[in-house]
Amino acid sequence: MKAAVTIRLPSLLEPVTGGVRKLTASGDSLREVLDDLVAREPRLKPHLFNEAGEFRRHVLCFHNGTNTRWLDGWDVPMSDGDTILFMQAVSGG
Amino acid sequence: MGVRLLVGTSKGGFWVTSDDRREWAVEGPFFKGWKVTAGLRLAGGGFMAAVASDIYGPAIFLSADGKEWEQVADGPAYPDGDDRRLRQIWTLREHRATVYAGVQDAGLFTSGDGGRSWKPVPGLNDHETRGGWMPGAGGLCCHAVLFDQANPDRVWCGISAVGVFRTDDGGTTWTPKNRGVYWAHEDEEFKEIGHCVHGMAQDPDDPGRIFRQDHSGMYRSGDGGESWAKNETGLPSGFGFPIVMDDATRYLFAVPLEADQYRLPAGGAIQVYRSTDGGDSWHSASAGLPAEHAYGGVLRGAMAVDNLDPGGVYMGTTSGTLHVSRDLGESWANLPVMLPRVLHLSAWVG
Repeated sequence: MKAAVTIRLPSLLEPVTGGVRKLTASGDSLREVLDDLVAREPRLKPHLFNEAGEFRRHVLCFHNGTNTRWLDGWDVPMSDGDTILFMQAVSGG
Repeated sequence: MGVRLLVGTSKGGFWVTSDDRREWAVEGPFFKGWKVTAGLRLAGGGFMAAVASDIYGPAIFLSADGKEWEQVADGPAYPDGDDRRLRQIWTLREHRATVYAGVQDAGLFTSGDGGRSWKPVPGLNDHETRGGWMPGAGGLCCHAVLFDQANPDRVWCGISAVGVFRTDDGGTTWTPKNRGVYWAHEDEEFKEIGHCVHGMAQDPDDPGRIFRQDHSGMYRSGDGGESWAKNETGLPSGFGFPIVMDDATRYLFAVPLEADQYRLPAGGAIQVYRSTDGGDSWHSASAGLPAEHAYGGVLRGAMAVDNLDPGGVYMGTTSGTLHVSRDLGESWANLPVMLPRVLHLSAWVG
């Protein structure tokens, strides 16, 4: 049984998901959860990831409050009830 | 006859509509916070809009009514792992049941199902000169697509800081068509590119008669782009971005800007220049436009005509102002709005 993870999206992505900002995705690692997320909502893929499969430069992804850029990779384990929060980095003033 | 304008700005889209071209209503923003970079009313009904975000990238949306929009799932895209990035969709055109999207990083994509799925045009996107393509100030973008009504195999496209290309075999092969146009920058290997086309217009009855607002001046071609010559008589500057043609009268409209290092309306006055003789001469057609302390420019996609009789001409500025003429530029009205920077303007009748 894969972990069920809550995905929270910023309001700017509402046009992409038809207004949905909270979803559930499954996986035992961050990579599996992200794969499941774009399988469920393929329209999100080009907005979160670039052609190299990396997060877009100004897309922030937090796992239970920790910026996933600070992790060693996307193999971090997931547990039921975890939260993945997407935000945009605000550059400049 | 009513007119509907799609005004795409740096922070969303707006519908600007009128039944008589005198009183206008503004509705929006939709796609709030997103750039709206191109629009299309589909021949089969409904609308297509291209949006982009500096954070989340571009997408194409479809709508049956202009109110409810749905992103297409299989939009234009470079392959995973590709060095090229899809940053923005600059133009949407439809011809013979095919929709064309000109994009940045420069390339062309087509859809045969009304925009639901897209495929690249490899003959252009992987052109042998691609290694010499260098972005201009606005990015490396394919922003213009023209068609030959009589010859379905012939298409032109304009790529900023690269030049005009033409296919005569339905898109399989493309040839640069820039002879007579000054270089913006000279490539060491490929001498036929490096020409910075800003905008293109075309005679509806003579598709080989093409007008080209270029970085290096105003040009026209009478032979489908085989050769180009400057036609700037009367223009205060050869520099500018948009050029549009009224289909009924063949009048041309352009917005010259002071020299490329400034890119400002000369003297703080927004001026439209009109040619009524196929580009032989140009004259100011600016009555009613802001004439003092007005420094907003008009971007390449932010000017349109409605092809009614008499023709309407519309433009939005980088200052977020909207200007409308219902008499082919004889007089202008300034709409009481201050929108975000206007990137795109389409005009549709009905």
